[in-house]
Amino acid sequence: MASESTLADRRYPGQLVHRLSVLLVCLVWPLIWVGGLVTTYDAGMAVPDWPGTYGYNLFLYPYNTWLLGPFDLFIEHGHRLLGAIVGLVAISIVISAYFKESRRWVLVLTIGLLIAVITQGLLGGMRVVLGDRTLAMIHGCFGPAFFALCAATAVTTSRRWKESLPRDGVVRVSSGLVALFATIPAMSYAQLVLGAQLRHVQPNAAPGVFAMIVATHVIVAFVLWFFTLAAWLKIRRCGDLTLSRPAGLLIGLVAVQIALGVGTWVVNYGWPSILAWVPGSTGFLVRAKGFLDSIIVTSHVATGSLILAVSVMLLVRLLRVRHCLNNPIKQTVHQQRQKHVDNSKEALLEPVTA
Amino acid sequence: MRNAVLFVVCFLVGCDARIETFRPNEVFSLSLAKSRSTSTELASQDASRVVQELYGTPDEPLWPVADNNLADLQNLSRSSGPVSSEKDGTHRGLFREHCVVCHALEGSGAGPASVFQNPYPRDFRHGVFKWKSTERGQKPTRQDIRELLVKGIPGTAMPSFALLNPEDLDALVDYVVFLSTRGEVERRVTAAAIDELDYGVSSPGTELELNSSNETEGGEVVQQVLERVHSDWAEAADREVFVPPFADLSGKKLTDSIARGKGFFHGKVANCAGCHGPAGDGSLPTLDYDDWTKDYTTRIGLTPDDREAMKPFRDAGALRPRVIAPRTLRNGVFHGGGDPNSLYRRITQGIAGTPMPAVEVVSEPNGKGLTVEQIWDLVRYVRQLSTTQ
Repeated sequence: MASESTLADRRYPGQLVHRLSVLLVCLVWPLIWVGGLVTTYDAGMAVPDWPGTYGYNLFLYPYNTWLLGPFDLFIEHGHRLLGAIVGLVAISIVISAYFKESRRWVLVLTIGLLIAVITQGLLGGMRVVLGDRTLAMIHGCFGPAFFALCAATAVTTSRRWKESLPRDGVVRVSSGLVALFATIPAMSYAQLVLGAQLRHVQPNAAPGVFAMIVATHVIVAFVLWFFTLAAWLKIRRCGDLTLSRPAGLLIGLVAVQIALGVGTWVVNYGWPSILAWVPGSTGFLVRAKGFLDSIIVTSHVATGSLILAVSVMLLVRLLRVRHCLNNPIKQTVHQQRQKHVDNSKEALLEPVTA
Repeated sequence: MRNAVLFVVCFLVGCDARIETFRPNEVFSLSLAKSRSTSTELASQDASRVVQELYGTPDEPLWPVADNNLADLQNLSRSSGPVSSEKDGTHRGLFREHCVVCHALEGSGAGPASVFQNPYPRDFRHGVFKWKSTERGQKPTRQDIRELLVKGIPGTAMPSFALLNPEDLDALVDYVVFLSTRGEVERRVTAAAIDELDYGVSSPGTELELNSSNETEGGEVVQQVLERVHSDWAEAADREVFVPPFADLSGKKLTDSIARGKGFFHGKVANCAGCHGPAGDGSLPTLDYDDWTKDYTTRIGLTPDDREAMKPFRDAGALRPRVIAPRTLRNGVFHGGGDPNSLYRRITQGIAGTPMPAVEVVSEPNGKGLTVEQIWDLVRYVRQLSTTQ
């Protein structure tokens, strides 16, 4: 125990990269919320130019006009500002990784992160310049993927990733288990894409196509829930809380997401006939642009992103465990190095190439 | 640089296809072909062309009648086109922002989300509206449409737009009137082309060909249709149903009135129980359809549940025929409003576009209609039904 606390107190070279990555995760989820609100309020075209705002440099737009102006302008310009901050943090991550991170693939990952944030910014900008709903949908789908990438970066740059290795025999990571855990983010992302199709539906879309997407979205939601349950059952007693806890969390998140999905439908189209038994449903009145209703819809979008990020994080950790267990030589070297470090407070930690 | 990026993005993902035209009313064209036993393809094409000349496109609407208080071209412009907003918060493309997902671009009621709704969203193109203050066969007033937008329809997907600013509501009212007149003119012009201008497999010739000018016989027919539809809308305000004052009774007077109302509910004249059921819970089976569905089914001799017969209509965009069920009166939810005046109008006019019949208002009890006081008795009974569940 003493050695653990010693480890926790000690700085390690990649700490800055990790802290910036966590900051990025903490910024991107609110960014997804605000972006979701922009779509919910149809405010995507509230600022018609890009990359500036009504001719101003993004950062020099008068703050009182922004804060005291129309709500559409407030959220759209706010979305852009927050996006710009996310971009700056991504740049900082690349710079810090260049100087502090010895693992080449992590540096490549952070560069990928920066390219992703630039791409997302360009997509958002093109959506405005072209006034294009398809681009808005792609922008909306790329956001959660970027968020998941941020979560993966935060996990892989953490101290735990570098220094703690799984105990052999506690969890057996078969290909089947990896496939099961890989299916969850794949399905989560498919759900996000389907949801985006419904949210950015084209005015002349055929009712049959819309109905098919709705049906698929609902069925896949319950299949995904089943998969999260199956995944948790597989690893609930693996002894590694970094696996079992997020897996349990996923079951709850998908349950909340299904409830939010029902809520989203209700505040948009009223109670479906299948839920006519719910008290008060027969006289329910849909209110266009209600604040609470908008929050329900936007929460559905944001929770979808959270599910994707948690499932990607879980998959990445599982792959790490599998990698370590399949490479016992490296594990032994690492454990010996770990032992050495624990015995010497002054010892400098050399990053392990995994 | 920016243009290069634009080009690459457009090349890779494609862009929204610009919506150049309203889709022609193919369902009506098929119905017409079936009922007139002739080809309506040419008539439909020409009617569609003429209507576009008169009413413009989904992005650039026109209003063909001058000095008309029904719709303002600036409002139509605000409501049409893609969604955007201006620096001062003014929204444009209001119809696509708020309505199109259910009512569709043409106002056909067959929008992307329509199949999940019961009842289906309204098809404006018939020019028939259920919830209004005017006589059964008349158009609604602008105020009727505005009230409907503000109040919404409880128990359906039709939202309340009470949070929208008044200018947005006015613009949407204008656009609903626009889509309705446009759609009805298209229907009537197509029918007139077959019935009056000898349209068939081949073109009827220059003189009879449909056009938007007034110089040929074909043009005159179009103008007549246009004048008729627009004057119907313009006259709506003069055709409001007079509602006599409602006395707010209490105690024994109220009990007696409700008891009399119950008698009328089950009686031969109003016979509400015949459809809504003796308990008013709408539990009686029904095989009837609304007028929007009958237009492409029973009125042209087709059985709504004959899948084979319905297929061409479904392919053309018609929604699956759905039996119309009498409402339960026991849950306190009245789609068109549960206030005494609305119920009075509903009893004396019926509900346009549905099998709900009207009860004749008579000055003296004569077994053929109900007097004003008798109707108020019935209204009190119906209102009492909804509070006793």
